[in-house]
Amino acid sequence: MPTVTIDGIRVEVETGATVLDAARKAGIWIPTLCYHPAVSPPATCRLCMVELDRGDWKQLVTSCNYPVRCDIEVSVSSDRAVAARRGVMQLLLALAPENEQLKALAERMGVEGTPYPTVTTSQRDCILCGLCTAVCDEVLGRSAIAFSGRGPDRAVTTPFRQPAEDCIGCGACAVVCPVGTIRIRMHEQEGEIEISPFKTRAKMLTCEQCGARVTSVPVAEYALNRAQIDWQEFRQLARLCPRCRRKRTAARLTEGRTLAAQAGYVAGTKKAE
Amino acid sequence: MTVQEKLIETIVSRYDGEVGMLIPMMQDLQAESGYLPVDQLRRLAARLDTPVSRLYAVATFYASFRLAPKGQHEVTLCVGTVCYLKGAGRISERIQEEFQVEAGGTTPDGLFTFQAVNCVGACALAPVMIVDGQYHDKVTPDSAMEVLRGLPLEQRQEQQETKT
Repeated sequence: MPTVTIDGIRVEVETGATVLDAARKAGIWIPTLCYHPAVSPPATCRLCMVELDRGDWKQLVTSCNYPVRCDIEVSVSSDRAVAARRGVMQLLLALAPENEQLKALAERMGVEGTPYPTVTTSQRDCILCGLCTAVCDEVLGRSAIAFSGRGPDRAVTTPFRQPAEDCIGCGACAVVCPVGTIRIRMHEQEGEIEISPFKTRAKMLTCEQCGARVTSVPVAEYALNRAQIDWQEFRQLARLCPRCRRKRTAARLTEGRTLAAQAGYVAGTKKAE
Repeated sequence: MTVQEKLIETIVSRYDGEVGMLIPMMQDLQAESGYLPVDQLRRLAARLDTPVSRLYAVATFYASFRLAPKGQHEVTLCVGTVCYLKGAGRISERIQEEFQVEAGGTTPDGLFTFQAVNCVGACALAPVMIVDGQYHDKVTPDSAMEVLRGLPLEQRQEQQETKT
């Protein structure tokens, strides 16, 4: 296994692991925004840059997608690496100057504000990292959202900026959004979930037993189709909330055990209780 | 099969249904329809089994694709460095104001489609405005208005739409 030396700390990682993996193993913090284990790193935010020692020259690389193939030496805290990350953070702040989560991360990195003119892009508060579009495409295979336009007009949008037909209202984009710009809004009265700011809505599935909201109807259908389980009981269970599902399973188990105990099948019933 | 469906089918079969040929297909569609109609794009996406979002991304990325019908005339204003220094910015503002049109958009009455481009390679004539392929040199806000006000507006909008 190759050894990565990060700021003097030596860690062994598997071949193909990234520098970021190694840094996390070594307990060294590298700021990240567009990195998420669920998708292949788009490396678009450029915030995780580190300096790679190549012997006679040094190179800045994005740690989130730089694979370790042999013994390497990287520096997270070198002047050049720190300056590069700070510069990127200043640019990101210019893109989403009012974002609280971004400001918090900037503070942690010791970056105070941005010297650049703040731009008003067509989609404000977004750093255009593409994590949401990657999740929608790679993990869910829906591609309900994508980048549109270019240059200052580049933004994550639904097709034709209308509520997307391909959206199943799963909210994965909102979960992965590193700056919290995509949000899930619940419309309790209509029993609908809305993915903001895309204005896409989907009906919510309510638990047949307790009436709690489970998930959106298209997500439930999608999951059932993907699981390809044609088993009546499974389909029934899928219409319950997790709590009621557990209750039902528990009830069935106790029922089964009582029956078995009555018939004298279970030897250690007493012990288990 | 409707006319629209047939058109998509012809275009798709022209490229053996190859998704990699998406841009030429969209170019053909635009050549036939004059622009990219929303429902045609949806149809094309469904036919190629490709997300609509990808087609929309391509359509909005390239300046040569348009999602709205073209106006009767085509007005291109150069806002490249030289033309800009010679006052193309003010001409552009004036056009946008007087005709309620944005760069890349069409006037509400469908008279013309206005486009601001970066250089037409005629810097010696700056500022340059091209109306239906005809070059107008050393334009001022006033002379531009004069040319544009003189454009004839014909009532042939409906004909164009039925042709697609």
